[in-house]
Amino acid sequence: MAEQMIYLDYAASTPVDARVLDRMREVAEKNCANPSSTHAAGREAQAIIADAAAQLGSLLKVDPATLVWTSGATESDNLAIAGGARYRAHRGKHIVTMKTEHKAVTDVFETLAKEGFDVTWVEAEPDGRLSPETFAAALRDDTQFASIMFVNNETGVIQDIETLGLVCREHDVLFHVDGAQAVGKLPIDLSKLPVDLLSLTGHKFYGPKGIGALYIADRPGCHVEPILFGGGQQRRLRPGTLPTDLVAGLGMAAEVAAARIESDLEHLRGMRRVLWDGIRDIDGVVLNGDPDGFPGILNVSVEDIEGESLLLALEPLQVATGSACNSRTQEPSYVLRALGLSDAQAQSAIRFSVGRPTTRDEVEFAAGHYRDAVARLRELAPQAAA
Amino acid sequence: MSSDPYNARVREFFAAPVHAGSLAGGVTVLADDQGVRVALSARVADGRIAALRFRAWGCPHLVAAVEWVCRHYEGEPLEALEKFPTARIMEDLAVPIEKTGRILVVEDAIHSLGRSLTH
Repeated sequence: MAEQMIYLDYAASTPVDARVLDRMREVAEKNCANPSSTHAAGREAQAIIADAAAQLGSLLKVDPATLVWTSGATESDNLAIAGGARYRAHRGKHIVTMKTEHKAVTDVFETLAKEGFDVTWVEAEPDGRLSPETFAAALRDDTQFASIMFVNNETGVIQDIETLGLVCREHDVLFHVDGAQAVGKLPIDLSKLPVDLLSLTGHKFYGPKGIGALYIADRPGCHVEPILFGGGQQRRLRPGTLPTDLVAGLGMAAEVAAARIESDLEHLRGMRRVLWDGIRDIDGVVLNGDPDGFPGILNVSVEDIEGESLLLALEPLQVATGSACNSRTQEPSYVLRALGLSDAQAQSAIRFSVGRPTTRDEVEFAAGHYRDAVARLRELAPQAAA
Repeated sequence: MSSDPYNARVREFFAAPVHAGSLAGGVTVLADDQGVRVALSARVADGRIAALRFRAWGCPHLVAAVEWVCRHYEGEPLEALEKFPTARIMEDLAVPIEKTGRILVVEDAIHSLGRSLTH
């Protein structure tokens, strides 16, 4: 096992499920039509897309008509945030988000700030969660839009979306949730959650890359302006020819997830427990974020270890240093810095993320290998100057 | 073009730094700057560097660079420590330009070692 790659980066992307692959192949081989065409083949493609929407709608407990297909979570976030904030701009230009959001969210807010929107960046508690009181205090009379992620991609921290959504409803604020790390992994019932817009992507839950969706609640005042132009598809909200095979694949991924979401969660909890139990007694190791967060993610830092060397020493483990950490510039994760970690702590952070295919052997090996790597790098290090 | 940030030599030197360690009774210097630390330990015989060992705290390029200089200087006369082949190291190890400062810390350590050994 030692030299075999061990993939523990399921928060970055997941393998395509065999049933998803079968469905995509079936669709790709049988139907090449443009789903916008009115001939029989085109109508058949449209029916395939409708089936996929029904599968995804069933997973999220929503009317399939509320779903807009996109190229992935980044586009969904862009459409939701830029489109939503601009749609409500005539009412007010104050918008709110967290410092620990994904770049696909923060970069859009920064772009909107350049357009004249007034952005408030709310801070997380040290465990990564957003206090509803802090959130409510950030809302003003002219606040029209807020975006909070469901599960943090670096730490696995789960936000209290229901309470935060209720705060938004009380203030008549359009509420977007980046659900990229949550959809297909956590039970989500949008028929009950006070969420107006929710972004998702297929490849985070065993579907294909290049396809995602945005849920837009069917309620007054909830709408987005398009950010792409060029056709009348999808009610002009997101023009462009739909990739029928990818859409079908995302639909099948949703169906598979719906059938096994609880057993998947139980499996992830077990894998994360074995991993954490295997390393938690290392001197100076700390778990970043909320210990009760999403069980697919374990983010740990360790004292006195240089992060880039740790990452290389951990090979053949395929793990992440956090999406913001650039190995060339060695910028520590802004997410972890926002939680109060020092540059050194943030720089040594490793994100392990386990998935459906992860085995006990793999996480036991990973824990042992992490221990060995930390010991080796400590042995290699000189004492600091007095 | 490979997206691997490390070339084969960096990987080899990082994985198996045969000069890692310290020499009992040797002369030791420490350079601590740019967020990295380098300790060099040397033993001299007949005006030559008989043995050179290191410890390092930093990125893989830094670790590989210190291993590189140990291999380079071991067996050389003491005067060799007056010169430092920055460009060769940067090229051999494909060190990103933004990490030049870390290689200069290794240079500081070598020059410091030279002064310690000759005084």
